[in-house]
Order: sequence, then C-alpha cells, then structure tokens
Amino acid sequence: MKHALLFIALLCMLSVSLAAENRSLQEGTIVRMRMADCEGLRHSFMASMSGGQMPAESCAEYVLVTDKVVYVIVGKSSDQLVPLAETTRFHFQNSEVVIRVDDARHESHFHVKAMVLRPEWERSQQLEEAEAVALMAAHRLQGAALTGTQR
Amino acid sequence: MVCAASAQTDAIPSDMTLRSDVTEVRMTFSTTDQNGRVMATVLPSDFAIVDGDMVVRDFRSFARSAYTRLEVAVLVDASESITAQLRQELANVVQLIGETSGVPDESFSVVSFRDLKPAVVCESNCRALNTSAQFPVIPSGGLTPLYDSVVFAARKLGYDNDPHVRRILILFSDGADTISLKSFTDAMNSALDNDVAIYSVDVSRQPHSSPGTLVLRSFSVNTGGRYFPVEAGTTKLIDAVLEDFHAAYTVAYKLPSHADGFHLVRILPTHDLSLQFHCRRGYYYPSSPEN
Repeated sequence: MKHALLFIALLCMLSVSLAAENRSLQEGTIVRMRMADCEGLRHSFMASMSGGQMPAESCAEYVLVTDKVVYVIVGKSSDQLVPLAETTRFHFQNSEVVIRVDDARHESHFHVKAMVLRPEWERSQQLEEAEAVALMAAHRLQGAALTGTQR
Repeated sequence: MVCAASAQTDAIPSDMTLRSDVTEVRMTFSTTDQNGRVMATVLPSDFAIVDGDMVVRDFRSFARSAYTRLEVAVLVDASESITAQLRQELANVVQLIGETSGVPDESFSVVSFRDLKPAVVCESNCRALNTSAQFPVIPSGGLTPLYDSVVFAARKLGYDNDPHVRRILILFSDGADTISLKSFTDAMNSALDNDVAIYSVDVSRQPHSSPGTLVLRSFSVNTGGRYFPVEAGTTKLIDAVLEDFHAAYTVAYKLPSHADGFHLVRILPTHDLSLQFHCRRGYYYPSSPEN
C-alpha cells in the first residue's frame, strides 16, 4: 500500500513537471539568418588574451519571430546551428534562449542580442520593403533615362 | 540559374524593348548524409534556403533535376612536377569518364596549363588520349596560370548553354597561381556565371598545410562541386560526379530581395543537422557581366 502511494505520488510529480515544462516552451519561426561576430564579451576577452590578433569568429545570428515578440539571437560558437524548421520550440534559461534540436536530441543555448515587439518589427519590415521598392523604381527610371539618352 | 530577365524578338520593332522582371531563383543541389553518402531521395521538408539572410521555405517547384547529360572538362596543372601517381590518376579519370554513358565524345575535353596560358589537349576525341605521351613525367615545372585557366575552361564549358547539361570541371592542381591576369574572384565568378561545378583534386604534397588547398576547397564549395586529395583516388571522384548528377534536385523559389549584387545562398537542414546540401554558393542579381 505504501509503495503504491509512493508510486502514485511520483507519477503526479512527473506529470506536473512535464506540464510545467510544456507550459514554458514557446514556439516561433526563424525568418532570417546570417553569420555575424560571435557574442561580444567572449570575443573581446579572447581578443585581449591574444593581443587583439585573433580573427573574429563568425556565429549564426537568427531572427526568431513569435506571436508577440521578435528576438535576435546569436550562437556562442561557429558550429552552433539550428535546424530551420517551420516551427522552432524554445524556452528561456538564465536570460538565454534555449532551442530544442530534436533530431540531435540536445538543446542549444543562444544569447539574446535584441528583442522588439512584433507590431514594431512588422512596421520596420514594411518600411524596409517600401525603401527597396522605391530604390528599384529609381534604378528603373535611371535605366530608362540612360536608354533614352543613348537613342 | 535565374530566369530570363529581358527579351527582344525579330517580330518586335527594333526601337522597342520588352522587359520582364526576374522573379524566380532556381538552385540545383545534391545531398549527402553524415558519412558523405549521396542521399537518393530528398523531400522539400528536409531543407530551407537562406538567400542573403532571408529564410525561404515556400518553394514554387521542387523536382529531380532535368539534367540529361554531362559536359566534362579536365583541367590539369602541368606546371608542377608531373609525378607518376598524378599521371596514373589522370589516366584513370580519362578512362572512367570514357566509360560513362552520359558523356558523349563531343562533351569531354582535356585542357592543361603551364607557363603563360592554358592549352586544349583534346576535345571530342579524348577517349583515345594517351596520357603518357601528353603528360610525360617531368621533375620540375614552370609558371602557373591557374585562375586564367579556370576562366578559360569555365567559358568553354558554358559555350553550350543548354539548361539540361550539368557542367563539370575536374581540376588537378595544387591551388597555386603564379602568373594569371585574372584573379581568384574572376575565376570563381566565371564558374558561377557559366554554371560550372568544380571538382578539385588536390595534388599538393602537404594538402593540410598548403594555402592552395584553401583555394581548391573554396572553388569546390562555392560552385557545388567537391574537393578530394589526390590520395583519395579518382574512382571516388568520378563516383561523386555521377552520384551528384543522378541524385540532383532543382528547387525554384520567389526572388526574396531585389538588392543588386551577389546573393549568397545556402541550403540548410530543417531537422537533421548531419545532412549537407551541395550547391553553388549564390547568384548575381540582375546578372553579372562576364569577366
């Protein structure tokens, strides 16, 4: 009887902890990726230790879009990559974004370089797109003007 | 690799130019697993494309590539000492390509380079090439116009712009250049412009510490080819060429950015990080003038 009660208690604890973990897991989509300088502190420490001669290491930088917030996250080493699945599951730990890499069965820790509310990010994206369209139109006009001059 | 950007036909008055925007990018790639084996079957859900910094997962089309034949040029650095081993590997390559059904006689050429410029050793009749006579064992070499020769061979391969042809440059070299008028970037751009994949065979004596090795690796990685040290053997090289040819896929997607210049492209896995996708490293938008 005592053993049965203990077993039930353990089961309850396990289900509570799993539920807590699931609750804390967030979902997002990586929409951009580029190689950037690795995290500043570590790099400057390594650079100062090596007399500033060490070449800058490149780390993957991702833009992770969630429902409400957009995060710019940077890896800690050049070989730290995340699968670019449609949905990226992650949680926070000590101010870092921890991403599950399912096939590799491990988690990867990323520094948060920047974060912005999603509506604000969307506005800046629209501005960027509008600028690109305007630039393209200007190029076309310039091209047309050049063609006209040549005739 | 990017769809046609503008057109003009005889039926149209000569003072009228039709323009259409390039809206689609096409990339052809092959995939290897963690052991370097070519994956025969790949799904669109296995990968995403990073074009510039934009992640693309919505593809307009995805299918096995429509390649029907190979166009192969073997480019041999004859400026360094030609060893018996190099000559044997070269003979093996010529023989293996000769036995390959997808390479017609007119699609196979051998070019060598030393001193000032490259020279065509054979074309259309390379199956009968006598490597012993053409490449005698010599103890020392001369000047090395590597980049000029890559440009020459890439243009030669790109002369026939049939989109169903996979263009392969097999480069036997130590990666050193001593006299070219063209630069490394020119050579790379010429390979990209002509859609040529470079398969390098590193003939350096110490490939791990040679700066030329970086050059050869860079040529291969950036053009969707592969790199092999000469010790790996040419059978492995030819296997890779044929596997990439047969297991290649072509994916098309909407041009994500109209920014002028070179668009760096990477194909990355969506779930299995051990997969490696081999493709050319990017394209020029709108297009680059040939070097």
